[in-house]
Amino acid sequence: MPQNEYIELHTKRHGRRLDYEEKKRKKEGRMPHAMAEKAKKLRGIRAKLYNKKRHAEKIQMKKTIKMHEEKKTKQKAEDRDSKYGNPTYLLERENQIRAKVLSNTIKQKRKEKAGKWDVPLPKVKGVSEAEVFKVVKSGKTKRKAWKRMVTKATFVGDNFTRKPAKFERFIRPMGLRFKKANVTHPELKASFFLPILGVKKNPSSAMYTSLGVITKGTVIEVNISELGLVTSAGKVVWGKYAQVTNNPENDGCINAVLLV
Amino acid sequence: MAHVVKHITVVPSYKDFVDIVLSKTQRKTPTVIHKHYKISRIRDFYMRKVKFTQQTFHDKLSLIISEFPIVANLHPFYATLMNVLYNTDHYKLALGGINKARQLIDDCAKDHVKLLKYGDSLYRCKCLKRAALGRMVTIMKGQAKNLLYLEEIRQHINRLPTIDPNTRTLLITGFPNVGKSSFINKISRADVEVQPYAFTTKSLYVGHTDYKYLRWQVIDTPGILDHAIEERNSIEMQAVAALIHIRAVVLYIVDISEQCGHTLEEQLALYRNIKPSFSNRPIVIVINKIDVVKPDELPEDKKKVIEEFQAEGEPVLEMSTLTENGVMAVKTEACEKLLAFRVNQKMKSNKVAGVANRLHVAMPKKRDNKERPPCIPEKVMKRKNAMDVDQPTRKLEKEIEQEMGDDYILDLRKTWLLANNDERYDVLPEIWQGKNVADFIDPDIMKKLEELEKEEEARDKAHYYSMSESEEDEDTQEMRKTARKIREKRQLITLESREKRRVEKSRMPRPTKRSRSVAQLEDDLSSMGVEIPTDSDSHYVRAKTRSSSRPPLKKARDSSEAGRSRSQSRPPRDQSGLRDKTMVSKVKKIAKKAQKPRNHQAKKGEGDRVILNMKPKHLFSGKRKSGKTDRR
Repeated sequence: MPQNEYIELHTKRHGRRLDYEEKKRKKEGRMPHAMAEKAKKLRGIRAKLYNKKRHAEKIQMKKTIKMHEEKKTKQKAEDRDSKYGNPTYLLERENQIRAKVLSNTIKQKRKEKAGKWDVPLPKVKGVSEAEVFKVVKSGKTKRKAWKRMVTKATFVGDNFTRKPAKFERFIRPMGLRFKKANVTHPELKASFFLPILGVKKNPSSAMYTSLGVITKGTVIEVNISELGLVTSAGKVVWGKYAQVTNNPENDGCINAVLLV
Repeated sequence: MAHVVKHITVVPSYKDFVDIVLSKTQRKTPTVIHKHYKISRIRDFYMRKVKFTQQTFHDKLSLIISEFPIVANLHPFYATLMNVLYNTDHYKLALGGINKARQLIDDCAKDHVKLLKYGDSLYRCKCLKRAALGRMVTIMKGQAKNLLYLEEIRQHINRLPTIDPNTRTLLITGFPNVGKSSFINKISRADVEVQPYAFTTKSLYVGHTDYKYLRWQVIDTPGILDHAIEERNSIEMQAVAALIHIRAVVLYIVDISEQCGHTLEEQLALYRNIKPSFSNRPIVIVINKIDVVKPDELPEDKKKVIEEFQAEGEPVLEMSTLTENGVMAVKTEACEKLLAFRVNQKMKSNKVAGVANRLHVAMPKKRDNKERPPCIPEKVMKRKNAMDVDQPTRKLEKEIEQEMGDDYILDLRKTWLLANNDERYDVLPEIWQGKNVADFIDPDIMKKLEELEKEEEARDKAHYYSMSESEEDEDTQEMRKTARKIREKRQLITLESREKRRVEKSRMPRPTKRSRSVAQLEDDLSSMGVEIPTDSDSHYVRAKTRSSSRPPLKKARDSSEAGRSRSQSRPPRDQSGLRDKTMVSKVKKIAKKAQKPRNHQAKKGEGDRVILNMKPKHLFSGKRKSGKTDRR
């Protein structure tokens, strides 16, 4: 009865088939052909997925090859031994450094440069009123059209109560109200799920700000007491501003970058 | 473990998992949508996708959670084994993670479906769907390691031996390398690896053996070393789990030759150390490898240790798995001990009391010492004796053929019965002196024929053939007559009733034009090569009707004596398909009743859809004050 590691035991006792290694090698050798055949035959979503996977694999392969090559390539180092240059008997002996170190420093610099910004989204595309508000018709014959429904994500404070329907000009639907946002701290490179305190400014319109409409580029105030940041005076920072970086109504969540 | 845990489906890796679910969504939900469609339709389209994905994830994760065994519900032996092998905490965490992921996915889908309800364009709905699926996949990504771990466990569980903790079991234990595996190989069909180094057996192995027509389970455990339980590794812990939880006879194997690297004293110490773990279970101490060192040849101090083993109060047996000396004795002793133990335990339990008082095993005593052999009649005996005479049976041709092989030639003549046996192989001529030999095979064939004919004649004279086979008396004839009458009558009755119950179907009218014609006949025949005479003598020409005009049919008139002249083949439409008059009246009544509400609306029937006034004045004039647009 097969139990425990019976397959290993069998190979241990009887060995493998005589042509096992050969077959394995051949199969491996045929792999690219088989893959090409498969790639040709696939259609639709499968083809899409497969090609994407292959693409990523190929890129990875190329990168590793490049890395290996970088390791091997040797470059001339500057002759800093003397101000007159090297003596003739040393001309052939050049100091060599590894290229990899150089490339690493470049990468580091690029990273540093990328971190310096003022507002994450300096230019924000305006949002028209037609886009934000949907006209709600009222009246018995649906002739009146003074009501508006906000179709973007909104922030509504805790103590908000709706006005009577007769006087309520702007409806902010419950489904589109958000209370929390994913806020990234650009220096810590970490994101936190923080409660929103209010909408500081919506660059498109002052009315949006007062309504609490959150679109891309809106500056919101978030509660960062969780992070435990401290001011120079030693007080715990409570609220801080953050800029929204995505379209909340399209993504179903609010992503923001903390303004430090 | 197969009987404890049912089949567990394969747990796919994170990548496969996501691929499976997403491609299923793609296959099973509609794929075509356009932006000019009604917005509610667009929303439904995407909501369906999100919900479907969530459901698929949910089902798949639920399957994983339900199929993996719950440690608390397992037999304590398996619970311990699982803890030793997989670490229950880790296992529970993994399953808990899967459960949490399922919950998160459900919540995520709920949120996004809620948002989709406010989607106002195809683009926005699509973005929301994409975000939803992305979030679900991200949640699954967090479970990648758990999925891998569970798949590993699944594979391992499948390979665990099927140990039934409750049956008759022999449990073999002892130091590593004392000959436990060779013993199980000897007494059961198990094929455990045996190697001359310690810890060859790294897990539990099961074999089965027979004793007294019962099935016995033999469990081979990895060797255990003599140290505290905290220091034992997972291999040893498997053995300990089996020792503690399985109700079995424990065979403690001792290596008398000390080839295993542990002295007899150490082996005694280990025995004393682990004995509490299998207290109140039968134990047999087995001294192995007596082919290397005989117990009598041991030095004095070693003999003392053996004596101490014997002083433990358990049976001490000797065997050698190499020469198979005493192996069967060990098995028998162990099995007997366990059987007695189990019976004893059963007797102690309160279940037995209900049955025991009703049990009675009859043990009949011998009445006397008289011989009572079976009585067989003489005749039968004779026949029986005659039947099995020791006559040599004739050799069959087939047997001869098998014996001789290729040299065999079929010889049928050797069995011919002739007056002179020497003539058997003589050549038979076909023609002899101008006559066919075959005609003279039987010299008196004509005589025989004559005799037969005579017999036939005699029979004919005696009316042998004309005689009816059975002569019946009058009574029987009378009876037959009445029976026939009864049969006829019954047939009539059935026909009558059938006629009564027949539903009068409206029949298809006969085709007016007959398909046969003279021209066609001519064609057919001429194609076969027959010429048709066209003169008036032939019958193919239509005969002239004798009277130039037929008398007109009489019109149906009630008063006329002739009655209806119309053909009666088709019933009137209101009676078509009805059995009899009662049915007709019933149907009429039903039809009338059904017509009632239509009569109220002044309609002819269900086909009457006339709207008399398309624009009633009162609905299209004046102010709309009270009532609705379509009813006031």
